[in-house]
Amino acid sequence: MFPHPRLAIATASVLAWFLLPQVLSLHYLDVLNFAAILAIGGLGVGLLLGQCGIVNLGQAAFYGCGAYVTAYGTTVLGWPALPSLVFGAVISGGLAALIGFPILRLSGFFLALATLAMGSIAGVLFFEWDWLTGGTLGMGGIPKLSLLGFELSTPGRYHYFIWPLVVLLLWLARNLVDSRPGLAMRAMRDAAPAAEVLAVDMHGLKTAMFVICAVLGSVAGSLFAHYVSFVSVQSFTVEKSIMFLLVPVVAGVHSVFGIVIGALFVALVPELLSGLGDMHQVLFGLVLVLVVTVVPGGLTGAFKQFRLIRRGR
Amino acid sequence: MQHYTSLLLQAALSGITNGFVYALVGMGLAVIFKGSRIVNAMQGEFAVIGALFTVLALQGGQLPYPVAIIAGIAVGAVSGVAIDIFCVRPMARRNASEEGFLLLTIGLAFALSAAALYFGGRDSHLLPGYGGDGVIEILEATMPVHAVWLIVVSLVVVLALRLFYTKTLLGLSMTAASADPDGATTTGINVSRMRLYTFMLGGGVGAIAGILVTPLISMNYQMGIVLTLKGFAAAIMGGLSNPLGAVVGGVALGLLESLAVIGFPSGYRDVVALSILVVIMIVMPHGLLGRAGRVGG
Amino acid sequence: MSATVLTSAEDLQASEQQGAVLLGMEGVAQSFGGLQVLRNVNIDVPQGRIVGLIGPNGSGKTTCFSIISGFLRPNAGRVHFAGDDVTAWSIQQRSRAGLVRTFQTPKVFEHMTVLENLMVGDYKSTHTGILGAMFRTPGAGAELSAMRERAKACAERFGLAKLLSTRAGLLPAGQRRVVELARACIGNPKVLLLDEPSSGLNSEEIETLRHWIVTLNREGLTVFLVSHDMGLMTVCEKVHVLYFGEVIASGSLAEVQADARVCEAYLGV
Repeated sequence: MFPHPRLAIATASVLAWFLLPQVLSLHYLDVLNFAAILAIGGLGVGLLLGQCGIVNLGQAAFYGCGAYVTAYGTTVLGWPALPSLVFGAVISGGLAALIGFPILRLSGFFLALATLAMGSIAGVLFFEWDWLTGGTLGMGGIPKLSLLGFELSTPGRYHYFIWPLVVLLLWLARNLVDSRPGLAMRAMRDAAPAAEVLAVDMHGLKTAMFVICAVLGSVAGSLFAHYVSFVSVQSFTVEKSIMFLLVPVVAGVHSVFGIVIGALFVALVPELLSGLGDMHQVLFGLVLVLVVTVVPGGLTGAFKQFRLIRRGR
Repeated sequence: MQHYTSLLLQAALSGITNGFVYALVGMGLAVIFKGSRIVNAMQGEFAVIGALFTVLALQGGQLPYPVAIIAGIAVGAVSGVAIDIFCVRPMARRNASEEGFLLLTIGLAFALSAAALYFGGRDSHLLPGYGGDGVIEILEATMPVHAVWLIVVSLVVVLALRLFYTKTLLGLSMTAASADPDGATTTGINVSRMRLYTFMLGGGVGAIAGILVTPLISMNYQMGIVLTLKGFAAAIMGGLSNPLGAVVGGVALGLLESLAVIGFPSGYRDVVALSILVVIMIVMPHGLLGRAGRVGG
Repeated sequence: MSATVLTSAEDLQASEQQGAVLLGMEGVAQSFGGLQVLRNVNIDVPQGRIVGLIGPNGSGKTTCFSIISGFLRPNAGRVHFAGDDVTAWSIQQRSRAGLVRTFQTPKVFEHMTVLENLMVGDYKSTHTGILGAMFRTPGAGAELSAMRERAKACAERFGLAKLLSTRAGLLPAGQRRVVELARACIGNPKVLLLDEPSSGLNSEEIETLRHWIVTLNREGLTVFLVSHDMGLMTVCEKVHVLYFGEVIASGSLAEVQADARVCEAYLGV
């Protein structure tokens, strides 16, 4: 193949990023932007899953928090977009620290169910607190993002902004994975007692990662709000949490840059099956089941297996 | 004052009624955990499937109500069997991790809930109440006749389960097969088949929960997850492998959530119940999925 | 490659005066749900020695080990280490103070390479946090390189140099044990606790294990081990015998083997 496959992929990606808005229809550009938003939220869930072995079924709670805070900040309080987004991230991170501290002492099923409970509670509160969130009627008129005076008012412009952001976040995540804390987290995931005996502060690490996951979810939510300019409770259900979970599961939990593939998959499938109506939700569940039972390594894992087989090992 | 006590009583009655529904879901969870050491995150979906199928049999198939009910329970049981054969068995053979089984049951929960959406639509469906749609009066509060039936049937189910697991050979074999698979195999128990029966039983009990609750609050595709979570709270309070304990837990949960939201919108009931779930998991997991102290050595 | 075995009571006394007690349990009692597992356990591990704990099945050895290593809090009694009362200390606190243990089944980090396994052993003496790691500060990079170098040196020393990029999960039991040992030693611990270290090992691997215990001890590492393997126990300078939750004999291996109460405990005579 190519002498440097990584370099080839990188070059192809940059070219694609540059050219796609000229080539794709507005509709598919839109889908691509959703994929970017999914990638950011899914990265958080993927870090928790791949590095800490924690299944987070409540990412939609932080996604919604980020969306509503920025919506409220910009439409009701009249703040600019960036401070609202940051404030949303701070609130989500703070909530994650507060909630995470007790529940991260749980493990396995209990923890996953606690996150599911958290997501469900958030869903109810988003609905009941309609004085804050607008309930099912939602909040509209959210202003578009502006970068140095340049307004991101079209999907094309948004695309040129959001994908470099995605790559930046993935790069930061990759640095984290290949570092001392990353080693400690994977040790904790592989053999917790042995990690403890080597003085790894498991609870502190898990809480920190939970906060990071929440911040990523919140940023994704805020970016979503400023993209579609309208948010309502229907976007922040358990279904959304499952979509965020699917991104790293389909990609392969240990792969950081592979998150892009997972996000593209989760964003594209409903598109390709739009003729079947609500069937795509069934498919998401089935995909999760299939990946877990048949291809636990996700797409990147399967690819690696394939390469090994081809090399005759 | 009089108004307040009647409000209290009404809340208590509806709380107890709901509590028995959670107890039934919790019992199904306990059955499956007891028989397979798997925490079934899709238990609530058995309720949805069973109920919706009964609606279909009744309205679409024009079957008599008792037959439709049996059909619904059967579908729940068959779903359980299908899940064991097509999903659990291959994963168990690969020695999949706990995380893997969790993702599996979550995926199934989601797929089944979406299937319910696809086939049943977004609307809620109702079933007729047993003994008609009348109410009985207790002091200043009222309770649907069906609710009384619900409680009676739940108690019958839990007693039947207790007898089954303690007195019948099959029940004892199913417990043995999961507690000590190797030991059970040497005594001639087919561990794989026992797990199949476990899922069949868990599916059937789950369906019963759904069929019983639908006449009271109607069933829609979204209810599965909340039922699973509340059933889980009930089951943990009772000790996760103990169907009888799930009844105690369920009724306690139902009462707590109803009494806590007197005067508030009913949506907050879920917030209360789910918060209780989290607190229970942290404060009293009953050491079942936690580490039990090792003695001796 | 002979072990240093003290065979007379006088030698034992003399050397004990040299080695002050580094690690000990005092008056420890433990019960589980009504069953009294440990009654009144007093164990001392002098500095620089190799001390063993033996006893028949059910005597409470594992419970003792769990209490010393911090995996269990005793109902009564104290654990002290390097002059501090560590009874309430967490596992991590004990580890930072220099108390490290291994596990009956070697707990290596399966999905990580041997190199990475060893690097984790260096965790407690390094500092890079999450933010520093994400933004690749120069300090973080330098520290990671240093960790890698130390891990490589450690691997050289323990004969693992060829296995550095092998996933630990693929190694056989004997090599896992060495990896676990090396990983524990990279942080320069003061005392090493070994839980049934020879379980699952063949005789060649046990010899390797024995070699390492003696070598590390000669360099100043205090060792405390629990084992069924009497052959391995000859490496100990002092042995405590646990029976029904109480220490019934302490001394050299030869002495305790001759002790009447010990014979009764093991053989029922």
